[in-house]
Amino acid sequence: MAEFSWVSRSPLQHALVAGAYGARDVEPGVSLTEVRNFELIQIMARRGRWADLASAAKTRFGVAAPDVPKAIQSPDAALIWSGPDQFLVLSKGGKHTFAPLSQAFSQSASLSDQSHARALIGVSGAKARTMLAKLSSIDLHPTVFPIGAAAATSIDHTSVNLWRGNDRPDGQAVFNLLVFATFAESLWHTILDAAAEYGVSIAYAEELA
Amino acid sequence: MRIVCPFCGERELGEFTYLGDAKPVRPAAGASEDEVFDYVYLRDNVAGETSEHWYHGGGCRAWLKIARNTLTHEISSVEPAAGVGAAKVGA
Ligand SMILES: [Zn+2]
Repeated sequence: MAEFSWVSRSPLQHALVAGAYGARDVEPGVSLTEVRNFELIQIMARRGRWADLASAAKTRFGVAAPDVPKAIQSPDAALIWSGPDQFLVLSKGGKHTFAPLSQAFSQSASLSDQSHARALIGVSGAKARTMLAKLSSIDLHPTVFPIGAAAATSIDHTSVNLWRGNDRPDGQAVFNLLVFATFAESLWHTILDAAAEYGVSIAYAEELA
Repeated sequence: MRIVCPFCGERELGEFTYLGDAKPVRPAAGASEDEVFDYVYLRDNVAGETSEHWYHGGGCRAWLKIARNTLTHEISSVEPAAGVGAAKVGA
């Protein structure tokens, strides 16, 4: 029997070229950072079990589970609302993988491992909102989309989970996009096209912002 | 046209898919062929207030029941379809 060596690779392995893109004569207005190698678990409450799920989440993460479109940051995970009675758990370093979470929520929820099914793109920079306004119909003005705001929406006909993370140290807002792995390249090119005129700085990271 | 999803808020039409009339109720087992035929195939072509199922597939993926006026496209109510949000209901 043939021997296989399975190597996990980012869906953006080919498309992402670190460095500068687009307008070169300006300070880059948009910075794009792909975060690689994360754990992502979908948790969906069973019928009549939301209260049990919320209580189990509080025990496990130390924060309330989101039941409105918000991303809630715990010390070592982000709980991202993804629809009625459901949310995503995003973490790094094997802290919240499928097996232990299945145990923790065995009474209240159904779980699904999405760790290698999505790509995570962080959008930041002075022109981040202007660029995203070309692609998304969500109002990202700070008064209506503050830190922790989240939306399940579509960009360029592609479903995304969009949420605002903590600001960068320089005060710039960070918009996170989770996209299906097989749509990641397409969305990536769409974002590059929209951002090119502002100058883009491209990188990938192993750490969550 | 925009629809105010009870879970997501106001969103553009492109995030939604139209299913159809929300009024037909599945006949009981043992119903006559005419009743089943009516349920599966026959629809009213209403000029005015209708009740419809829509799917927020480009957003929270919830099914919605929407009251819409086919003459004006005015939407008078949007609510979760039966079963959506059932985890909040007592066990
Ligand atoms: Zn919705």
